Amino acid sequence: MAAELTSIKLNPESHIILDQPLLRLPNDLARRNFKSVQRSVEREKEYVIPALKEAANASLSNTQTPDQTLAALDAMLSRMQGLKRKMQSLQEEERRIQNQSRKRIQHLEALHKIPSLADVKYDQWSRVRLDRLLVDHMLRSGYSESAKQLAQERDIEELVDLGVFTQCQRIVECLRQGETKEALQWCGENKAALKKSQHNLEFELRLQQYIELVRSRDQTKKIEAIAHAKRYLVTNQETQNKEIMRAAGMLVITPDTRAEPYKTLFSTDRWKYLSDLFIKTHHELLSLPSQPLLHIALSAGLSALKTPLCHSAYTSSSSNSASTATSVCPICSTELNDLARKMPYAHHSKSYVEGDSIVLPNGRVYSKSRLLDISRQVGSVEDGKVKDPTTGEAFLESEMKKVYIL
Amino acid sequence: MDLVQKEHDRLLKRLKASHGLKNVESTIDLLQSARDTIAADPNQAAVTLAKLQNPVKSSFDSINDSLKETHGGLNKYTKSLDKLFKDRPLPSTEHDALSNQEHLINRAIAMHLLREGQFSVAATFLSEIADQKSTIQQESISRPSEKPSSLLDIDEVPSTEIRKQFASMYYILHELKEKRNLLPAIEWSREHREALAARGSNLEFELCRLQYVWLYHNKSLEPTNSPGNWEAAIEYARREFSSFGPRYLAEIQKLSGAMAFIANLRGSPYAATFNNPTAWDEVSQSFTREFCSLLGLSADSPLYIAATAGVIALPTLLKLQTIMKAKRTEWTTENELPVEIPLPPSYLFHSIFVCPVSKEQATDENPPMMMPCGHVIAEESLKRLSKGGRFKCPYCPNESHFKDARKIFL
Repeated sequence: MAAELTSIKLNPESHIILDQPLLRLPNDLARRNFKSVQRSVEREKEYVIPALKEAANASLSNTQTPDQTLAALDAMLSRMQGLKRKMQSLQEEERRIQNQSRKRIQHLEALHKIPSLADVKYDQWSRVRLDRLLVDHMLRSGYSESAKQLAQERDIEELVDLGVFTQCQRIVECLRQGETKEALQWCGENKAALKKSQHNLEFELRLQQYIELVRSRDQTKKIEAIAHAKRYLVTNQETQNKEIMRAAGMLVITPDTRAEPYKTLFSTDRWKYLSDLFIKTHHELLSLPSQPLLHIALSAGLSALKTPLCHSAYTSSSSNSASTATSVCPICSTELNDLARKMPYAHHSKSYVEGDSIVLPNGRVYSKSRLLDISRQVGSVEDGKVKDPTTGEAFLESEMKKVYIL
Repeated sequence: MDLVQKEHDRLLKRLKASHGLKNVESTIDLLQSARDTIAADPNQAAVTLAKLQNPVKSSFDSINDSLKETHGGLNKYTKSLDKLFKDRPLPSTEHDALSNQEHLINRAIAMHLLREGQFSVAATFLSEIADQKSTIQQESISRPSEKPSSLLDIDEVPSTEIRKQFASMYYILHELKEKRNLLPAIEWSREHREALAARGSNLEFELCRLQYVWLYHNKSLEPTNSPGNWEAAIEYARREFSSFGPRYLAEIQKLSGAMAFIANLRGSPYAATFNNPTAWDEVSQSFTREFCSLLGLSADSPLYIAATAGVIALPTLLKLQTIMKAKRTEWTTENELPVEIPLPPSYLFHSIFVCPVSKEQATDENPPMMMPCGHVIAEESLKRLSKGGRFKCPYCPNESHFKDARKIFL
């Protein structure tokens, strides 16, 4: 049984569980960026060095005219210029990413300078975090414009990943509209990384292209479909044999079939499936959690705050909106009340009431000193009487009865 | 975290010192000057090209060397991240209790944005939700077989009325905090005088008192030590304070009494009222609280409190998750978390009653019952102990009957 009921201890290291993607994502992007620098250099090296050797040999043996030599050198030069441009832009990108990482590290570092959860600075920090979680949620739900505006107004653009999610969203939009091009291009850009992925996104996309060709029931399209299957589907025979067989079967089935699995394959719902698969693959590739971080924080928080009183049929004496003596509990507030309905409530092993609790004849329990304070403030009750702040009833002070809550 | 910072600093230094691009440029220069030489004198071609081999090769080698360094830096930084998050994986996402409550979350977010005065973001957010809703609707019209169960209900979204309310709250707060203009707040509190009085709120008086003090200080933002503009204050008091009547008589007398100390207010018994540096913050806080309470809402954003409490609770809940996985057990009760989560005291809103006999929290079905001696136990424990008849209180010698116990409300 936990000894403490409350705690204001702040452990910065375990406090940043949710902030993992904050540092991981830019690092993943930086690594990918680096790999493409490495690849470009390798490619040019493999071209320039042999080409130079060949040119030297040719010119030594006089099998090449000076013009040919110059042309060969020009080709090398232009490739190197290309490499330079590419490296410049990648370096620019790298600088941007690392600056972002630096700002993010500083943001997390700031937590180490905050003494406790009760500190005003913690409140400020936590508000920035909420804004980050909100932007993350908006981006994942496809509310990109809201996300952008919020990030701008709160000046946290370096702490959120607008670019990554906006690109993802754009491809998802295309898929929902029945367009595979953008998604396939993305697969091409991430070919190496996708080899490790369990989901065969590219195959599924190619299969969809095939289905669309078959759907038209036009003879030339069918021939095209067979060619498409040979080129893109059959190459996956080892792993996707069953799907390939089914795809072949589709050639003799009409799209309005009711027979499974063909009905599912022809269904337009497959586009929804593809866009979900894309999101899954995309998030896994960039080690982004599959659910919004806000969901994780909220489901933990709603339970930690919830009490059996929050959805009680009776108004709580200790927290309600009827008097200034109490502040409204966030779970009881309309914003979260429905959301918290199905969540478990927090566990408590000890009662938590004010020390000088009394009970009124109507069964309501209050702190005696506070009740007297409010009754005096209100001024509307006569001397020697107290007013129940929740129900508005007035009672004699002598009717207050001590209550023992262990 | 320190290690992460250190490795990242090192990485940055390495990147800054990286010669990759410079080496590419020098390769280009090598090729270019060779080309120029050959173009000027074709006979030099063989010699020039032969001489070119090694320098070009070594410049590619140095490009690769510098790439290797960068790679090392990236790896070290990645390792430091692995170490930082090693024992702190993101919670497993198998069960997302909130995933089908999207509309409620969005409503909470919209309300939060309005509360924080982010009106334009809120407007964009609501219109994006409406857009998405209409496209989903269109899709479901074209496919009537599908039930539009996941559709957002527009009624769930904050009504125009709520939006207007928050806009006016924000306006009043802005005037109050930024311009030290109390008049809109006073006006609002007068309009809601009855509701505020029923809550036992002193807001109107607090606002007027601050107005009086502010006039006394000659509308200066900081309290001054020099004799203030007491004429303006007195005039304000004559005009406004009479309406407060007997309830605040003592306070009003104090405020007027202060006039006798104009020459040295700071040394007077009234200094606290007149030189209270946090007065404006206090007043805006109590204004926000009253305003939200009249709408049935909590004063601080529930979304903020819940998200913060969630992050505080996460380490404990994660530990629990691992233990439960190892033991292959499930949550013992669906209704209640199995562990206690200590939150800061300001996060406790309700009183908590845990029955000292059964150790269970009271609920509507099992409410706290007070025996005539004043001790409280849960109803189920009471039934078990009394078996419907007379019994002894488990905590004192008093004996009572089952039907003498009374339900109490915390």
